[in-house]
Amino acid sequence: MRQGPTNVLLAVLLSLAATPAAAQAPALSRTSDGKPDLQGVWQVLNTAAWDIQDHAARLGVPAGQSVVVGNEIPYTPAALAKKRQNFESRATADPETKGYLPGVPRIMYMPYPFQIFQTPGQVVMVFEYDRGVRNIYTNGTQHPRGPLNWWLGDSRGRWEGDTLVVDVVYFTDETWLDRAGNFHSENLHLVERYTPAGPDHITYEVTVEDPNVFSRPWQMRMVLYRRKEPNVRVLEYDPGRLMDEAGAQRDK
Amino acid sequence: MLLRHSGFALALAIALGAHLAAQNAAAPRPAPPPVGGCPPVPAAFHTCALEKAKTFTPPRTRSGKPDLQGFWRGRLSQSFSVEGVRGDEPLVGSDVMPWEIAPPMVVDPPDGRIPYQPWAVPIGRIGVNYSQYLDPRTACGSGGVPRLALQDANQILQPDGDAFIVWLHEDHHVQRVIAMDGRPALGTAIKVTNGDSRGRWDGNTLVIDSNNFNGYNWFDDSGNFYTDNVHIVERLTMIDRDTIHYEVRVEDPKVYTRPWTLVWAQVREKEQGFELLEEACREGQRDLGELMRDGIKFYFDPPWRGR
Repeated sequence: MRQGPTNVLLAVLLSLAATPAAAQAPALSRTSDGKPDLQGVWQVLNTAAWDIQDHAARLGVPAGQSVVVGNEIPYTPAALAKKRQNFESRATADPETKGYLPGVPRIMYMPYPFQIFQTPGQVVMVFEYDRGVRNIYTNGTQHPRGPLNWWLGDSRGRWEGDTLVVDVVYFTDETWLDRAGNFHSENLHLVERYTPAGPDHITYEVTVEDPNVFSRPWQMRMVLYRRKEPNVRVLEYDPGRLMDEAGAQRDK
Repeated sequence: MLLRHSGFALALAIALGAHLAAQNAAAPRPAPPPVGGCPPVPAAFHTCALEKAKTFTPPRTRSGKPDLQGFWRGRLSQSFSVEGVRGDEPLVGSDVMPWEIAPPMVVDPPDGRIPYQPWAVPIGRIGVNYSQYLDPRTACGSGGVPRLALQDANQILQPDGDAFIVWLHEDHHVQRVIAMDGRPALGTAIKVTNGDSRGRWDGNTLVIDSNNFNGYNWFDDSGNFYTDNVHIVERLTMIDRDTIHYEVRVEDPKVYTRPWTLVWAQVREKEQGFELLEEACREGQRDLGELMRDGIKFYFDPPWRGR
């Protein structure tokens, strides 16, 4: 049966309407093993580093909208009291003020760039902040036998379609989630989802689970933006060294 | 994790080392095995390895580049002094972390000594740096280039697209990103601990050219040093599937009378399932109090400043 031009046009329109993802597919660049190519320099454009929840401006703190889905964090009553105490003493109690590695997911939304590299078995993230490195193994290996306490946890990844899914465990209880005192215990368990949303954006979702602190799992969601400047480089912000250097200047 | 690393112990050794005289004669050690089929002494390894490299065809990545990927460890190297350790060195007899006798890693000049200008001699070589300043690595800084490749485990990755090579070091979670895409250098005002590194392939050799160092790093425990003016060219050449000839050419007309060269080996770490671990340093037990009370200074206003 021959189709008339109208039918062909209709078929094209229908297929476009039915499969918008397929229509966008050519824009998604891929690595040589066919995975989405997430390589490049990325950075958030939000205020999660200061406070992951809705907050008004404070001196030196830009106002911001929540990256927590639904804004509420389901703290247990005791943990909520601890969070409030953290907030009151944040000027000295925040681990960031000691120049420590900031933990995950906090390092993902520090206001500094990071770079993603991909090989078939390993995704590496290199952070300007504190020379942080995340090795995300995508070679089918499991988390090593614990217990381990690592500042950036142990990350094992897999691809679900075009989404990189990363399971992260083995944290310390000495990192926070932001400068507003949101926190977790060493039983923190994260599931991160990195989904390309066009060539220059990644949707970053993280499910946060920690029965010591939260009554149920909860989620953060934000956008990672590609740094497009020519010759953009991940430079170096080594907070510990800069603190030591400033201290040495004061003591002179 | 922290105990495996010598930062704290090193601090102790520095505090005590100056007060301990030679007490024990150095025990003779068995001769080490060959490395990559070459003699286990840097100078002889250097000559032999360059010869072997002429006939070895390295494995290739999917894109056809020499494949240096994998886990590696420095060999024929030690952190006491790149000029080597002689039997009459007092620290060889130290009760706390005694130094071991070792040949120089400096292969050029042939005498194995860093060609310091006269003013710099009393600063390096267990001099002013060693006695008055805190080893930057003990302060939880990066070991710096090339010290961080001396001994600890490291991993070379050649990510998809060949625009970068990533060199990860377990020592204080140091990462180096080497741009392979011919991009322009950083502006000279941007100083970074491990330099701005740009690489290229010279035949089968990875050549890494680095500038923009902040000069806050030493070569070794002895306080041998460069300044923020240093230019470092590293050459990594596979001589067999499990051995890299690692050559470091150091140029800094502020401090040395001529460029000079270090050589050691990187050998493949073959332990099944080996991975780099997270080696946090500052976050762990870092007690610098005793050293600081003794008047030891951070190496942020180094004695070469103003030269």
